[in-house]
Amino acid sequence: MTCFSAKRQSTAFLDMRLRAREHARIAAHLYDCASCAAYFEQVGSLRSGLNALPGVATPPRLNTALRVLASRELQAMEEWGGSRWKRTWERWKFRLRLLIDPLTIPATGGVLSSLILFGSLAFAIDNTSQSVDYDVPLISMNDITANLVPVEFRSKEVVLTMSLDGDGHIRDYAVQDGTSSFTGNTTRLQYNNIVLPDFQGILAFDHPTNSDISIQFTPLAFRR
Amino acid sequence: MPGNLSILASAQNGVSDEDARILRGLRSGIENAYEELIDRYQGGVYGIVFRLLGNQNDASDVVQEVFLKVFRSVGSFRGQSSLKTWIYRIAVNEAHNHRRWFSRHCCREVAVEGQRADHADSLKLAADPGRSPFEQALESENRTLIEQALDRINPVFRTAVILRDIENLSYEEIADILQVSLGTVKSRILRGRDALRRELTLEHGFAEAFI
Repeated sequence: MTCFSAKRQSTAFLDMRLRAREHARIAAHLYDCASCAAYFEQVGSLRSGLNALPGVATPPRLNTALRVLASRELQAMEEWGGSRWKRTWERWKFRLRLLIDPLTIPATGGVLSSLILFGSLAFAIDNTSQSVDYDVPLISMNDITANLVPVEFRSKEVVLTMSLDGDGHIRDYAVQDGTSSFTGNTTRLQYNNIVLPDFQGILAFDHPTNSDISIQFTPLAFRR
Repeated sequence: MPGNLSILASAQNGVSDEDARILRGLRSGIENAYEELIDRYQGGVYGIVFRLLGNQNDASDVVQEVFLKVFRSVGSFRGQSSLKTWIYRIAVNEAHNHRRWFSRHCCREVAVEGQRADHADSLKLAADPGRSPFEQALESENRTLIEQALDRINPVFRTAVILRDIENLSYEEIADILQVSLGTVKSRILRGRDALRRELTLEHGFAEAFI
C-alpha cells in the first residue's frame, strides 16, 4: 500500500466505513509509516474538534416566526378550499411577485418616460393642410443654398408658383408672365434669374409647407 | 384516496411511519402536524444553514424560506427519500442560493465579529466543573480557529464536512441530500478535511491549534 492510496482512504478509515480486511491493511501501513500516521492523527483530531463544536441554538424569534408562517399557510389552505389550481396560481403569483418586485421602480420609470416623450411628440404630428393668412418668409439670411429660376419678364405682373416638398425644397415652379405662360431661358441663366432659397422646414412654419406657393411680384425692369 | 396510497408506497422506500404520519397531517391541514414538523426539524435546519452562511440573520431568513417551501411542496413529495433528508436538501440548496445571490448583488458590510458575538451569546455553554478555566479557554480558542478555517474552504467541501462531522449524518444521508453518489461524498469529505487541515496548519501551525 502506498501513502497516496492510504491517505485517499483516510475518510473511510476514520469513519469506520472500510471492510475489516482493508481497515487492517491501512492500520498496518500506519504502523510502518510515521508520515501517514501523523497525517491520520491530524485529520482525526480535526474530526474530533469538529464533532465537539457546540450546537447552534435556534433564536427564539425564529420559532415564533415559523409558527406564524405555518398558521398563514393553514389559513391559505382553507381559503383555497383544497383547489389545486388555485393553490398553483397563488404559488406562481408569489414567485412572480418576487421576480417583479425588484423591477417595479425602474420599469415604472421607463413607462412614464416613454409616455411623456411620445406624448409630447404627438402634438407635432399633424397631416392636415390648411391655408394660412400670414406672411411666408422667402429669404433666410443664413441660407447659402439657392434655386435659380431662369425667367424673362415681359410684363409687370409676374406670378411665380412653386411646388414645395415636405422639407421646403422647391420641386417645381411655373411662371405666369402677363399673358404668357412659363418661359425660361436657361442660356441666360446668369442674368435673368430669380434667386429663391429653400424654404424652412416644417416646424419653422408651424404648418407643413408641402403645397404650392404663389408669389406675385412686379419686376423692376422687364423687356417689352 | 390516492394521497394515502402514495404515502404507504413511499414508506417502503424511505419514509418512516412517523414521517408518513406527519406528511398525512400536513396534507390534511392539521395544525399539530405543522407544529410537530417545526419542533422536530427547525434545530437541525438552522444549524446547517447557520454553519453554511455564518450569519444569524441570514440563517433565520433562509430557514423561514425553507419551511415555507416545505409547507407548499409537501403535496409533491413522493417519499423517495426520508423526510429529514428532503428537508435538509431544501435547506442546503436555499443556503447556497442565498449565498450566491448575496455575493452577486449585495456589497454588504459583514460584521463578522458582531455576528459571532451574537452567536456566542446564543451558545451559552454551561460551566464544566470538571475542567479548568484554562482548558475551557483553550477549547474556546480551538473552536474559533476551526470555525474560521471552515469559513475559508471551498463551499462544496465545507457543506460535506459540516453534514458529516458536525451534523453527524451518514454517508448515505449526505448523498441523498446533495444528490450525488457515495463516492463523491467520500471524496468531498476527504478534500474538505484536508483543506481544513491545511488552513489550520498554514495559519496557526497544526500543533499549536490542537495541543
